[in-house]
Amino acid sequence: MKSLRVLATLLLALPAISCNRTTSGKRQFFVAFSQANNAEPYRAAQNELMTRLFTQAGDVNLVIADAQQDNSKQIAQVETFIRQHPDLLIVAPNERAALTAVMGEAMEQKIPVICLERDILQPNYTTLVHSDNIVIGRMAGEFIRDYLIGKYKQPKGNVVEIHGLLGVEAAINRHKGATDVLAAYPNIKVIADPVADWIQARAKDRMTEVLRGQSSIDVVYAHNDPMAVGAYLAAKELGREHEMIFVGVDGLGGPAGGIKKVADGILAATFVYPLCVDKTVEIALQMLRNPSFHPAREYTVAPQLVTPQNAAELYKQTTLTQ
Amino acid sequence: MSIPVIRSFISFWERMNGQKQDAVKSLGALAVIFILAVLVSPTTATGSNIFLQLGNLTDVLRQGSIVGIISLAMTFVILTGGIDLSVGSILALSTTVVALVLTRWQHGPSYPLEIATAIFIALLVSTTSGALSGAIIAVFDVQPFVVTLAGMIGIRGLAKWLSNNANVDVGFGQDVASTFAAIFRGKTITIACYAILAAVFYILLSRTIFGRYVRAVGDNERAALYAGLPIRRVKLWVYSLSGLLAGFAGVLYAAENHQGNPNAGVGYELDAIAAVVIGGTRLSGGKGTIAGTIIGTLMIGVLTNMLRLNNVDSNVEMMIKGGIILLAVALQKQGRQAR
Repeated sequence: MKSLRVLATLLLALPAISCNRTTSGKRQFFVAFSQANNAEPYRAAQNELMTRLFTQAGDVNLVIADAQQDNSKQIAQVETFIRQHPDLLIVAPNERAALTAVMGEAMEQKIPVICLERDILQPNYTTLVHSDNIVIGRMAGEFIRDYLIGKYKQPKGNVVEIHGLLGVEAAINRHKGATDVLAAYPNIKVIADPVADWIQARAKDRMTEVLRGQSSIDVVYAHNDPMAVGAYLAAKELGREHEMIFVGVDGLGGPAGGIKKVADGILAATFVYPLCVDKTVEIALQMLRNPSFHPAREYTVAPQLVTPQNAAELYKQTTLTQ
Repeated sequence: MSIPVIRSFISFWERMNGQKQDAVKSLGALAVIFILAVLVSPTTATGSNIFLQLGNLTDVLRQGSIVGIISLAMTFVILTGGIDLSVGSILALSTTVVALVLTRWQHGPSYPLEIATAIFIALLVSTTSGALSGAIIAVFDVQPFVVTLAGMIGIRGLAKWLSNNANVDVGFGQDVASTFAAIFRGKTITIACYAILAAVFYILLSRTIFGRYVRAVGDNERAALYAGLPIRRVKLWVYSLSGLLAGFAGVLYAAENHQGNPNAGVGYELDAIAAVVIGGTRLSGGKGTIAGTIIGTLMIGVLTNMLRLNNVDSNVEMMIKGGIILLAVALQKQGRQAR
């Protein structure tokens, strides 16, 4: 029975390590944030910025739960948050369909809900803050077209498109946006479209296969920066990295992010898929502090093109503040 | 407490067999965690205990049900001295198959018949997957770890291939797929399924000849062989049951998440094994109970819920869970040495 006692002691120490409930005279708001997957750099950056901004606000007690890219886990976490009845619930859904019902439950419990960055099947939220992947895809398509016109004096050339996880909204729309633009130019050909599931190592393998089969490539367009970097590494290994340019999406700050890759000349361009956190916190604070404030149904945050011209400046901005 | 009471308790304890002692110990550990969860639970604005709210307690049950169902058959597999690593992939295959049938099969006969057919096909595919592993293990005498590892990889591949790597979304409308989800995502249905299956598997293990065979095979396979027990058939059965329950868990998962998801259930095999081990089943087989596994599932569930209600960092949560598994093993070891 000794072990049982050890177990009990261990668990009794629990309140000491639990990390909430600051009590001061001022009204503290409890904000619960259910994050889809902390392991992705983009989402880690969201967490970091949100923690910083809410800490600056001073009257918010933020709790972040990580669903580890598992729908069931995220549903469970949101359910648990509902029991705690936070002043505000922020959800970055792992997938659209899975989270729809449980977010509806939160709304039924009269908990204000901000849906961050990924739309769900039914409008079970107070407000949605997101960017637009179709716009990003279109910007990428236009960038590729302009680059090819600059290179050949006419819209022609060979493009390799590396897809993210199939069936995911970002992969679908980053593809759709680019296709909308490029389809108008029959001489711009997508000669290969491998799938690399957002993962750099996988993109390197797929790109190696493409390079073996294709003798002439002008542009590699990858649905995120890590995959664009993977493609670059594959080309470099075969000594072909100067034959083509690499275009990514995401544009994260920090030494491992895409902006640095543009500044270093590895990527020709990337598009900042905004974290949407600034806007979220701004609206959240208004909702918390001002009961008569009614947010719009939807806020769209604009993407930004990163090229070697503005990369250094953007890098400083995004990295100094982190 | 007066001396006679303690003395009678000690003699009562000594008269129990080892298995019952283990069960009481596990129950004691669950009680400790439960009481602790009540004590440290935050309260609502009106002062009521959040952990003890009926809604929260049923949350715990529902959240534990999917892995709980898988762990029932996993107990049988481990009792025979085996292991089944393919259950997470079988769950994914089952979610995919049930969602594909429901969304692609337009103009079926009637909703109930179509839903029943979809579930039947998913369960059939899952059971067949399990039976295939069982057959290879039994007939060719290959290590279960290797065979089910192959299953884990291959079956996930099949699920991804069937769905073309994409999720098969089930909507919120009036069509047959939505109706299926609306019925089976219900908390009551999920918990009831788990409870019924738990009862069935409890009886199967403790009250039937098959249950005795399962234990005998794991305790001493050679002795079981000499005694003329149908070892191969027993193995085939336990892996088929494991596939069946993983498939059933997949049907519930598809309803709960409104989708067939070929990437679902990654790591669930380890969660199920953890529940079985915490419940006191010996990994080398022969010794263990369904009651223990249920207690193990509940322990993990209550512990997770307690940590989340207190907003404990999720990394700390993982560390504590690791510690709990080690403690459970230590408890078992201590019990065995004492005897």
